[in-house]
Amino acid sequence: MEETLGGSDLLFSAGSTAAAYRVQTEYFEGPMDLLLHLIRKRRMNIMDVRLGEITSEYLAHLQNIEAINPSRESEFLVTAAILVYIKSYSLLPKTEEEGEVSDERQLVNRLVEYEKIQKISQLLNEMEEASILLWRRQEGDESFHATEFTMDKMSAFQLAEIFFSIVKKKEAGGFLTIASKDYSIERKRQEILLLLEKQGYIDFTEYLSQLNTIEELLVSFFTLLELVRQRKLIVVQKKLFDRIQVWKGASDPAAG
Amino acid sequence: MDANETASRLEKIALIESLLFVSKEPVEIQRLMEFLGCGDAAEFAAVVKQMEALYAEQPTRGIQLRRAGGGLQLVTKPDFHESLRAFFTVKQKVKLTLASLETLSIVAYQQPVTLAEIAALRGVNPTAPVRTLLEKGLIVIAGRKKVPGLPALYATSKEFLTYFGLNELGDLPSLDELSEFFEEKEQPSLFDRR
Repeated sequence: MEETLGGSDLLFSAGSTAAAYRVQTEYFEGPMDLLLHLIRKRRMNIMDVRLGEITSEYLAHLQNIEAINPSRESEFLVTAAILVYIKSYSLLPKTEEEGEVSDERQLVNRLVEYEKIQKISQLLNEMEEASILLWRRQEGDESFHATEFTMDKMSAFQLAEIFFSIVKKKEAGGFLTIASKDYSIERKRQEILLLLEKQGYIDFTEYLSQLNTIEELLVSFFTLLELVRQRKLIVVQKKLFDRIQVWKGASDPAAG
Repeated sequence: MDANETASRLEKIALIESLLFVSKEPVEIQRLMEFLGCGDAAEFAAVVKQMEALYAEQPTRGIQLRRAGGGLQLVTKPDFHESLRAFFTVKQKVKLTLASLETLSIVAYQQPVTLAEIAALRGVNPTAPVRTLLEKGLIVIAGRKKVPGLPALYATSKEFLTYFGLNELGDLPSLDELSEFFEEKEQPSLFDRR
């Protein structure tokens, strides 16, 4: 254990590398993701973690809305509530009862499980990277028609039609509007670019279906159009009403 | 091995190649053996091995034999990925999103698993990635759990194995092996970063 700790010291002291490394990890998919990051930052062993200690750091991260997945805000808040509860509970005089699993233990167990999931995801990701280089029989034909789709072949009317089909789908499911919130194209723009930076690819139809309010849906869609206009993105839709796929644009110097 | 046997083996290889060439999905070994009237598993394994070697050793071949999804499949050699992309004008092959990968990890290791169980492990709602994975055919509904509400149980599909180049689920490392795998891998990378 000591050795690995020494190793990570080296890792973090490597100035620019560490900085570059941090930029990539500072977007959190879910609350578990964020908690694990905070634990690793303190170089604690998950099993010995005093969750109360990282509560304030967790809450501080929630202030920085750009670092978390906004469509998952409620889930981040639920975990925040659990953390605050654990912290306040730990301040009370202890009345240890046998056989009862504490909330803290429960959350730690979930974190341990989630850490495994992250590892498996990483493994699957590596396998995907390797496997993607080997083309299978049908892949050529499929891709042949899928690419070189340009937005200008499509009329504004058709675009609107797609958008309203998504809205209609959402309406069928019922919007859960709780509080009004201001969405700005600029913030959305950063969010989408950050997501692309991290994932390399967005399934925009899936992305839209995660959003809870019609305002956010509208802003997301306009942001998409704006980014396409600026040639920051490449958008592909194989056929009408099919899923919208988004890649980083080739004009972006950062993209290879 | 006499001349006759060698000839018959080469013939088998040619026949298997033609069958695999036409098939979109991996072809089960059992099915190939029955079709070829080859009852001896060891003999068939030797044929496959020779065939694999033929593709691997000959620089004139652009394809290779792969064992995936419980069968045999012809795929291109990795060196030609960039050229294929250029020819078919594919910007980038579609990869799974982080959310989809996480969800798939849970299904792969906990299957069969319900939506609620996936949600509990991920700490976030998995509805959207589950839908994507179903559409891509990487997971399937494998039944219903006998609890109130009869929620659907999800499991990985044959396409999952093929997609990730696995022959069977057992090829995935166990959870214990997984941590070893990462410990081994993480050590040298520390030096790379310096």
